[in-house]
Amino acid sequence: MSSSNTERALPEVLVSMPQMGVSVAEGTVAVWHKRAGDWVQKDEIICEISTDKIDTDVPSPATGRVAELLVAEDETVPVGTPLARIATDAAPGEAHPDEQDAATAGAAAADAGAAGQATPDAGAGQGGARRVYSPVVQRIAAEHGIDLTTVAGTGRGGRVRKQDVLAVLATRDAAEPHDREPPAPPVRADAEPAAPGRDRTEPLSRMRRAIAEHMTRSLRTAAHCTTIVEADFSRVEQERKRLRSSPLPIVARAVIDALERHPALNATLEGELLTRHRDINLGIAVSLGERGLIVPVIHRAQELSVEGLAQRIRDLARQAREDGLTPDDVRGGTFTITSPGSYGAIISTPIINQPQVAILDLEAIVKRPVVVADSDGNDAIAVRPIAHLCLSWDHRALDGALAAQFLETVRGRLEREA
Amino acid sequence: MSEMTYLQAISDGLREELRADERVFLMGEDIAVLGGAFKVTDGLAAEFGRERVIDTPLAESAIVGTAIGAAVVGMRPVCEMQFADFISCGFDQLVNVAGKMHYRQRLAVPLTIRLPSGGGFSGGPFHSQNPEAWFMHAPGLKVVAPATASDAKGLLIAAIHDPNPVLFFEHKHLYRRIKEDVAPGRFETPFAARVAREGRDLTVVAYGAMVWSALEATADLDGASIEVLDLRSLVPLDERAILHSVRKCSKLVIVDEANATCAAGAQVAALVAEHAFEHLDGPVVRVATPDVPIAFSPPLERALLPQVEQIKEACRELLEY
Repeated sequence: MSSSNTERALPEVLVSMPQMGVSVAEGTVAVWHKRAGDWVQKDEIICEISTDKIDTDVPSPATGRVAELLVAEDETVPVGTPLARIATDAAPGEAHPDEQDAATAGAAAADAGAAGQATPDAGAGQGGARRVYSPVVQRIAAEHGIDLTTVAGTGRGGRVRKQDVLAVLATRDAAEPHDREPPAPPVRADAEPAAPGRDRTEPLSRMRRAIAEHMTRSLRTAAHCTTIVEADFSRVEQERKRLRSSPLPIVARAVIDALERHPALNATLEGELLTRHRDINLGIAVSLGERGLIVPVIHRAQELSVEGLAQRIRDLARQAREDGLTPDDVRGGTFTITSPGSYGAIISTPIINQPQVAILDLEAIVKRPVVVADSDGNDAIAVRPIAHLCLSWDHRALDGALAAQFLETVRGRLEREA
Repeated sequence: MSEMTYLQAISDGLREELRADERVFLMGEDIAVLGGAFKVTDGLAAEFGRERVIDTPLAESAIVGTAIGAAVVGMRPVCEMQFADFISCGFDQLVNVAGKMHYRQRLAVPLTIRLPSGGGFSGGPFHSQNPEAWFMHAPGLKVVAPATASDAKGLLIAAIHDPNPVLFFEHKHLYRRIKEDVAPGRFETPFAARVAREGRDLTVVAYGAMVWSALEATADLDGASIEVLDLRSLVPLDERAILHSVRKCSKLVIVDEANATCAAGAQVAALVAEHAFEHLDGPVVRVATPDVPIAFSPPLERALLPQVEQIKEACRELLEY
């Protein structure tokens, strides 16, 4: 966060695109929480910005009136670019001399809100802050497909209350008696939209847009092949009980060992430039449920023990779910592991995380009858925990034999040296 | 039916149980000859004899400990603390012995402890407390706190019948202020909440004397329809009744006469946050005594204990939210 000046004599402070990590050069303004003419307190969130994966809030560097927004929502600018001007000589409740128009508009919106009229998303009252809805209001609106920005609020500062949204519902039901369905089944967020006429269309979230772009670009760019081996997880199962962890850190360690032996897979391919990396920066795909997927990176993973990996994976997954990752946490990956197997799937063909050249998918561990040999070399059938390791690799960078050798090394580590 | 005060209803409950069940006996300081500091046991020694209405030394630990022993061998002791405040001297017996006996040795401890509690009459720091939450936090103990005369009798009888140790918090300020028809004979009031008044715009959760403050504060609140839920039992806590009411009204004010931190109301707030989040239309609001001892000075005491005006204001604020 920087300001153009700190001298008291100058009555203006600039809000700039912050540096969010050493490798981040630009950011996008996702949402402005303030408009020109709004009063803002120092450290109050003035906008949200996003880099390609991480969203973050930008606090105001000073108290004053927002004089001008210099960058529009969804606009991407380099780090350090001024985003807004804040007039620090203005007083709350009075318009800054330069900003008559904006301030008047803001006041008009507030008046309309106070009069209880429907002021769609005027940010009525509360200094033009974005409207915030209580849990019950959001739930009722979601169940009945009500656009809350069209609901007039009668609560404090134009807040939309439960009775306001119920009133809209009552009016609507009265207007369409035939559309009245049996007592609206509570639609959970994860349920299929079932009722006709209640389909919901909405734009992809920023995270989904980013995933969509990465995935289609990868499929367009790389020559994807998938090679699959099955591995006996008996030793892994014992080991993971000892560690009280998922099998993932054990598989991660085996993959690191295999990458050290087959460095051609610890590489990135950009255009016609293939880079083999000295460090193994291991990406671990973390599901964020409906929100999407993120791949935090364990940098210099070759230096970590299984215990260290387990700890790091737990930390990163927690940070990912709590939106606590920094842009540096998701950059610089040289190989990725994904493990959707906890839902029972046994085979899949993952898409390579560009510009890496391979991705390993760990699937569900399932008990299966397998042929084993005893110490005398006699074959027998035994029940063993088996999982598939599915490696998608880029045929531009390497060939099938190497992929198979790599998988064989991973399997060997898991079965014999886990 | 006959009209009784809250205090008479408790006496009546004790008398009914002493008559009906010879395993029931009473222990406490000055309860026999004097009839108790508040006269709850007045006349019982004469009717049932000094062997069943026992004056004890000034030693709460001994009272509770003796009663636990009697309960384990099949008696139904009912102990009186002269003031709930003094239970801290018997704390270890209750929390570490009575509460854990069943878990450790599968022995039932059918013990009832009567605890005259609460402030509002200038009793000062040692005679005004509401220490319910201390025992809510200790597994193995039940905690009840009646607001009406009828519930005082019914909950006391249910406590005596219950195979677990039950702490019966009777509110001193209600002793002679509440008078109503109470059914004769033996009847049990369930350890569950009671809707003191039905409503649909906002729920006030309270127990003990605060139920009356809540009813008064919300009797006429600009035409709003306010539900008042009297918890009656804190352990077990009637989670279903609380959640049902909050899901209906979507706004919640919780009134505690106890000090705010970790009070029964804090548990109610946590429950609602966990299980009724999507039904809330405003913040959960608590009105409670600040975390200081109760002052002796009447104006200071009024400033500390939740007052009708304060509850009114909290409800009004939340209704307008």
